[in-house]
Order: sequence, then structure tokens, then C-alpha cells
Amino acid sequence: MEKITKDKIECGLEVLKRLQDSKLISHLNSCVHCGLCADSCLYYLATGDERMIPAGKVDMVSAIYRRYCTITGKVFPALVGARELDDTNIREMVDLLYGACTMCGRCVKHCSIGVDIEYVIRTGREMLAKMGYVPESLQATVDAALTSGNNMAIPDEDFLDTIEWMEEELQDELNDPTATIPINQPGKNILYTLNPREPKFFPLSISAMAKIFYAAKESWTLSTGMYDVTNYAYFSSHPGHSRIIAQRMYDELQKMQAKKLVLAECGHGARANRWEGPNYIGREFPETVTSVELIAGYIKSGRIRPDRELNREVVTLHDPCNLVRSGGIVKEQRYILKNTVKNFVEMTPHGMDNFCCGGGGGQLAMSEYNDRRIKIAGIKAEQIKKTGAAIVATPCHNCVDQLSQINVTYRLNVQIKTMAEIVADSLIIEHP
Amino acid sequence: MHWYEWFALAALAICLISFAHHFFRLLKLGKPRDYSARAGSTTRGIVYSFTAGMNPRNKESAFLHLPTYTAGVIFHVATFLSIVMFFLLLSGLECSRLICILLTLAAFSGAAAGVGIFIKRLTDNKLRRLSNPDDYISNMLVTLFQLFTGLVLLNNGLYPAYMIVAGLLFIYMPAGKLKHAIYFFAARYHLGLFYGWRNVWPMKKP
Repeated sequence: MEKITKDKIECGLEVLKRLQDSKLISHLNSCVHCGLCADSCLYYLATGDERMIPAGKVDMVSAIYRRYCTITGKVFPALVGARELDDTNIREMVDLLYGACTMCGRCVKHCSIGVDIEYVIRTGREMLAKMGYVPESLQATVDAALTSGNNMAIPDEDFLDTIEWMEEELQDELNDPTATIPINQPGKNILYTLNPREPKFFPLSISAMAKIFYAAKESWTLSTGMYDVTNYAYFSSHPGHSRIIAQRMYDELQKMQAKKLVLAECGHGARANRWEGPNYIGREFPETVTSVELIAGYIKSGRIRPDRELNREVVTLHDPCNLVRSGGIVKEQRYILKNTVKNFVEMTPHGMDNFCCGGGGGQLAMSEYNDRRIKIAGIKAEQIKKTGAAIVATPCHNCVDQLSQINVTYRLNVQIKTMAEIVADSLIIEHP
Repeated sequence: MHWYEWFALAALAICLISFAHHFFRLLKLGKPRDYSARAGSTTRGIVYSFTAGMNPRNKESAFLHLPTYTAGVIFHVATFLSIVMFFLLLSGLECSRLICILLTLAAFSGAAAGVGIFIKRLTDNKLRRLSNPDDYISNMLVTLFQLFTGLVLLNNGLYPAYMIVAGLLFIYMPAGKLKHAIYFFAARYHLGLFYGWRNVWPMKKP
């Protein structure tokens, strides 16, 4: 790791000193070190490593705040456990704030005080990002998005080939040569986005969603200009980078003159666009909804007709943290499953209390912490095993990726599916 | 007034001025501006944050750790009552025997809870790792304050010592983590604001 310079220290401290509102100091001054958050964190539960207690991660940031921003910390640093922003502490911050937190927010809900632990950790990540200490693999993913327009650097030609291929599949499945996957068509009702994992690894989820749009007779389009729902700079927490990516989505929406932005199944993508995006660019987005909300709306309004008998296997649901705990979308995915599958069973715990799959917080992109990521996923693997389900549905492609890996590692012998795939399998298509 | 009463009052004044500074700083900085389209009610979110959001049935930090949680609640209630008692004692107002007995019991219960929490912090590896001197000093001062509140109610001869302990506590309060007496409310306000805006709180059952 590159040795810290005075300039870098100033860059990092600026994040703590530049107070735009009272939120940061409220949370930095609230933790009482009760340690009761430990049992809500899957890192601590899976490893037993005391360094990974959420309060300890908060203290990595608040101890620096105390050292440089409070009188007691400046005069008697040892008394209040104030710490210097030096190489040793930065190394530990990188390891704990990037490498030992999925930013799932579970500890926030259970904190005895109400410290927004995840927000403090993002603040710590922002300090590290501004000083240039983002783990290389995560930064590479952000750089790919910044330079190519999508986090997997998929060239437009390859993307268009995949879409064309999926369109043919769709036409074959529906036995309708007019069925399309529209691209770059302005003035549609919906601009739909994708997680780049879809064109790269899971193209069938694109045709599944296209089938749903077909059944709902929806006016929609994809765009080659900006289809990537993800914003990995949300994970690196570099404000400049996250702003560029969010601005790109906003601009594309304006260019395509779509009435609504529909976010593909991606937990952090939903959060980064629906909630953080407007704050990154300092203006409100046009109507933005997740595909989960959209599909639930189609079923409720009768625009699509699912048949539960077409999905007879036992299905359980993995709740993506960002969708549930940070987005309040809890009922919609359950409404969809209750209308599209015959046997739906919940995990324990579920909903707001669900455990992260282990792939959040940018962990899937940080190969440096692969072993740790797979180890903490043991908790999710046990949850899945106990349900006895044959299929795990989840409205998040990052979760799909992580669950697919733990499916192999922990020999779960289940299928991992997106909501769109489950719904598409259950659809009754009415041909004119 | 005796010198120890002046000392306690001066300490209280320092504490209040410092807390007022923190409070008005929070007010001046205000709440964050959110450009995302609001999905829920911030008022309901904030109310939830201070009510059902603190329900022990909703918090693993409470229902998985009932002895510690209970000790924490007793400790905080007794602290509040001890501060009320401080003003009563200073003003020379006398309360009924029954209330005196109840307050004495509350103060001693709080002190016992404080000692329990102190021992846990000292002996539990993960808590010890999290702790700094301020954690121990804060706990110790509040516990002593409660203990002396109980003692002075039983024996008025301890009044000077009680005032000195109270003064030490008031002087120390703004220096360390006891500031959470102010920031706890700010943190819960922000949490309610944040989750209320997004319609996460009030929490929905799946």
C-alpha cells in the first residue's frame, strides 16, 4: 500500500470536516460501545473475529473524527480512544470497511442506540476513496463503468448480438415473429435497464423480462447509450465517480424521452438510482421504479395472468438488503411469488431481518476478499437448506451470482432464479 | 450555599453550556436535503423511530441480550431520576417518605446495573476490545452519582461528598461519550427521517 502523504490526509479529513448537515456528527457521536450489534452482523457471526463487530468499524471512523474534530480528542486523545489517520489505521480501515462489510444495514436496524452504522461505514469508504485507497479490483470495476459505460466493459456490438439472439429466442418461445426486444426507441413509456451480468452471463433473464413486457403489452425500450443499472461507485463511495454514472443514467432518460425508468433486478442498482442517484447529481429523477414493483403492479391490475400451477416446485425468497432494508420493498416480491408459484416458503429470518447473501457492499467485485465472502455465506447457505426449497428466487443479479457460488460450495443443490424468470415461467400468453 | 454546592452548580453550568452548544450546532446544521422522490412520511418515520422502532421485540440487541438490555434500561432510568433528585436536593425541597424510599431503591438499582455493565465491559473480550478509558470513566462516574444519590437519601451527612461527585460528573459529561445524552436523540431523529422518507419505517410485515 502506498505510504500516506500530508495531502492525502487532508483529502480524507475533509470528508469529516465538511459538514453539510447534522447527520454525520449525530451518528459519529452516538455509539456507546455496547457491542450489542455484534450478533446482527454476519461477518462476526460467521468468523467470531472481534475486529468485525459493527461498533468497531464505526469506531475506525469516529476515532479519527474525535482526534481531529473534537477538543477532548485533540488534547487527550488516549482518553477517548482518538486515532491518527496514519498508515496502520488506513490499512485496517481498508480491511474492515471495504473487506468486512456488505453494507447490508442489518446492524442499523438492531443497534440499541440508532446509529446509522452503514452510513458511517460509507463515510469511511469515502475518506479512503478520496485518499486513493479503494481496493484495486473494485476500482477496476468502477473504471470499467466510467470508461465503457457498463461495469463489465461489454462492447456495443456484443451487447447488440446478445439482444438479437434473445429476441430470436423470444420469438421462438412465443411463436410470434413480431415479438421484439426494442433498442434505442425514443418516446416509449419505459426505459428499461439491465445488470451487465445479464448480457454477459444470464441472457435468459433478458428474454424473461421481454416476455413479461410482451404479455403486458408494454411500450418499452432498452438503450445502448446507458443500460447499466449498477453504480459500483456507490460501493467505492467516491462521490465524483458515482455522480458521473448517475448523471449518465439521467441524461439517457432525457435523451430517450421515456416516461419512466425501470430498474432491473439489482439491489444496489435500485438504491443507487432510485434513492442515491438524485442526491449524487443534485436533482430529482423522473419516475423511477424497480421491476419488482412494476411486475407486482401488472399482476394486480390484471395486465399479466400468471398460473401458479406452472411453477410447482418449492420456492423460497432471498431478500436483497438494499431493496428491503434501504428501499422498503418487502411485500411486492412476496405478492409476485404468491401469485406465480404453488409452494412458497419463507426463510428464517426474512424480510427486514434477512441476512445478506454475502455478496453485497461490492464484495463480489473485490477478489481480495473472496475467501471471507464465501465463509460468511455459510449463514445464508444454512438458511436455504432449512427451507427445503428447490428454487431460490431473488430480485437481484448480484445476489444470484453469490447464491450460485454458494450453491456449489455448500452443495445446496438448488436453482437460483430471478423474479422475472419465475414470472415468465408462469405466464399465460394470450395470442390475438 | 457551601463551596461544594457552588462547585456542583458551576459544573452543571459548564455542562449545560456545552450541551447547548452541541444542541444549537445540530439545529444550525439542520437536516440533509434529499433530492429523491419521497415515498413515505418522514413524520411517521420519526415517530416510529422513537416508539416502535425501539421496541425490544424488534431489536436483536435487546431480545438476544435481555440481562444486559434490562440493566441498560434500569441504568438510564435511574440516571434520569438521579438528575431530578439532584435539583430537588439542591433546592432544599423535601419529598414524601414513600417517594424517598422509591428514589433510593431506584438509585441503588441503577448503581447495581452500572456495576454489572462495568464488570461486563471489563471481562468480556469483545467489549474490552471496543472500549477506551472514556467508556470506563463515564460508566464509573454515573454509577457513583447514582450510588451517592441513594446514600445521601439515607444519610444527609454525605451531602458534601454527593455534591462533589455530581460536580465531577457534570464537568466530565461534555468531554466524552456521555454526550450521547444529546446525540442519541439526534441519531434517532435522522434514522426516522431517512427510513420514513423511503417508506421503510414504519416497518411493514412481509
